[in-house]
Amino acid sequence: MELDQHDQPTSEQPPYTGPAVAASLSVLLAFFTLMVSHHISRLSPGLDKMVHSFGYWIPGSQGSGPDGSIGSYTGKETLALTVWFGSWLLFHLLWRKQNLSLNTWTKVFIVALGLITLGFFHPLSDPIVLFISDLF
Amino acid sequence: MSAGQYTHDNFSKILIRSQVLIALLLLLTLVVTDFWFPSAYSLKAGVHGVTAILAVVVGTFLTHRAFPLIKGMKVNLESLRRWLLAATLLNLAGAISGNWIYMRYRGQDGPRDWILAHRPLFHNVLMEFKEFISLFPFPLMLSATVLLYYYGLPIQIRRDLCKFVGITILVSWSFLMLGFVVGLILAKLRFV
Repeated sequence: MELDQHDQPTSEQPPYTGPAVAASLSVLLAFFTLMVSHHISRLSPGLDKMVHSFGYWIPGSQGSGPDGSIGSYTGKETLALTVWFGSWLLFHLLWRKQNLSLNTWTKVFIVALGLITLGFFHPLSDPIVLFISDLF
Repeated sequence: MSAGQYTHDNFSKILIRSQVLIALLLLLTLVVTDFWFPSAYSLKAGVHGVTAILAVVVGTFLTHRAFPLIKGMKVNLESLRRWLLAATLLNLAGAISGNWIYMRYRGQDGPRDWILAHRPLFHNVLMEFKEFISLFPFPLMLSATVLLYYYGLPIQIRRDLCKFVGITILVSWSFLMLGFVVGLILAKLRFV
C-alpha cells in the first residue's frame, strides 16, 4: 500500500474515505443477508432446506442424533459471507479513490445496524415478516 | 494534589495491572472449569467458553484504546492495529467454536430440546437472537483492522477516519457483550 510507506503524508496522498465506507457497507449487507435468509428459512421446511443447501460445504452442516448438526445456519452464514466479500470487493474498487462523507455515513451505519439487530428479535420482527410474506 | 497525578505512579500501575491479572484469571476459571464438567461435550464447551471470554477481554480493552481515537488524540497505531488483529482472530475463533458447540445444542436431547420443552421463549427469542448477533463482532473487528492496515499511519491526520474506526470498535464490543451475556444465560439454563 502506497500510503503505508509515508509517515508524513503530503497533500498529494490524501487518504480517501471510500474504502472505509466500502468495508462497513459490505458488513451491513452481510448482516442484512443473514437476517433475510433467516426469516426466509423459517417460513417453510422447503425454504429451510433451500437455504441449508448453500451451507452443505461446511463440516457439521448435516447430521442427526445426539451430536446434532449446525443445520440451515450454515446456509445463512455462507450467503452472508458471499455477500460480504463480494460487495466489499465491488464497493472498494468503485470507491477507492473517492471521498464520501463519513459523518453522514456513520449515522446511517449506526441506525441501519440497530434496525438489523432488532430484525433478529422475533417478537418485533415476526409480525413484519408475516405481513410481507402474506403479500406474496 | 489532584487525583489525575496519581494515575501514572508506580503503585497505581501495580495495582491496576494486578487487578487486571486477577480478573482475567478469575474470568478464565469461569469457563476453563467447563473442561471437567460431566458431559461428553465438555471439550467443545470449554473451547468456546475460553475463546469467548478472551474475545470479550480483548474487546473490552480495545474500547479503552478506541476512545482516544474517537477524541482525536494521538495513539500508538502500530500497537492498536496489532491488538485489533488479535481481537479479530479471537472473534473468528469464537464464531467457529460457536458453530462447533451449536451442533450439540441442536442435537437429540440437547439443550434446545430441553429448553423448548420447558422454557421455549429462551430458545425462540434469546437463542435465535444470540446466534446471529454473536456473528457481528468478527466482521466489524476485521473491517476496523483492515482499515488501520490499509490507510497505515497517515490515518492519524484524518480525524473522521480515526473516529469511524473507533466507533466501529465500540459497536463491535457492544455486540460481543450482548452475545456473551445471552450465551452465559443459556449455558446456565441448560449445559450441553
